Amino acid sequence: MLSVTRRTRRPLATAAAALVLTGCATVPARSTVPSSPQAQDELLGTAERTLVVRCLAARDLTLPDTAPARPPAPAEDRRLQAALFGTGPRELSLTLATGHTVTAHTDGCVAAARQNLYGDQTRWFRAQVTVDNLRAEAQARMKDDPAHRAALDRWTRCAAPPGRPRPERPGPAVAARCERESGLADVRARLEPVELAEVRALRGDQLATYRQLRTRALRRAAELSAGTTEQKGNDAS
Amino acid sequence: MKRILTAAAAVLALTGGLALTTPAVAADCPSGHFCTWQEADFGGQRANWSGDDGWWEGWIADTDSSWANHGISGPGVKDHVRVYESAWQGGAMTICLAPGQEVGYNGAANDRGDSHTWAMGC
Repeated sequence: MLSVTRRTRRPLATAAAALVLTGCATVPARSTVPSSPQAQDELLGTAERTLVVRCLAARDLTLPDTAPARPPAPAEDRRLQAALFGTGPRELSLTLATGHTVTAHTDGCVAAARQNLYGDQTRWFRAQVTVDNLRAEAQARMKDDPAHRAALDRWTRCAAPPGRPRPERPGPAVAARCERESGLADVRARLEPVELAEVRALRGDQLATYRQLRTRALRRAAELSAGTTEQKGNDAS
Repeated sequence: MKRILTAAAAVLALTGGLALTTPAVAADCPSGHFCTWQEADFGGQRANWSGDDGWWEGWIADTDSSWANHGISGPGVKDHVRVYESAWQGGAMTICLAPGQEVGYNGAANDRGDSHTWAMGC
């Protein structure tokens, strides 16, 4: 059996709760974008979830909890997966410098929600995948540095002393001790900011697209939030 | 099982500018879960988690060849998955996936995963 730890989860966030709570209020709805990144993330998460729920409802499906205690039956879940994430050929594809080819479908409720929010799901996909993996790219580049290679050699000798077979997977305690003793952790801490800065400069165009489309999505999400509030207010009156 | 690059795939990977043909087969990964398969294109034995795992079991550790994030987004939900090459999120992060994103092909970083964690972002 796999060791599964349930994700730390927060209850419905303030933004979502506010949508519900203001349903009966008489205050006018306003489409404002919050200033803090955390509140912005919450606004985007609420909007995407709202759009996905509506899309699923049109297909006679409901969105389960983020990580349901009891997963739905396989056949039922496959229908839900198809509705959520799409089917058929994967129209979106981007190969990263790390060698991973990330793909996604353009159909499905998640894709439809992103199209609604970001306005261009193809441009958003390329920007999001690139920006989300800047750190992975920086860490991959770090490995070409002679100081990193030397530290990694010391780490390997630490994890597999001479005369003893190298363990297939050193235990976490051994790995952590060897990271310290080999200096690998220090080398990583020194090199990563440098490599990350270089990668960010290299991917400046995608970073700019990411910011531009996120700004667009925040405005759209705020409009949706205000619209939902107004609609709920009207329904209640 | 290790993935063996075919000559054609290797050429495609090296040329970089060409669009790779992505598999049409669906990645069967339960809603709300992160999945990894022992073979490319979502084949072979699958491991899936709705939560974090700091030390993948031996049969899937360093034999992972394709991945899918079928997490469900929402406000305050950790819906991105970070995959690491060492236990307990150590070593380099090899890939970070948002919900709906999948990797069925990996030219260079195959069979490297040892742990993963869900996060608000990458």
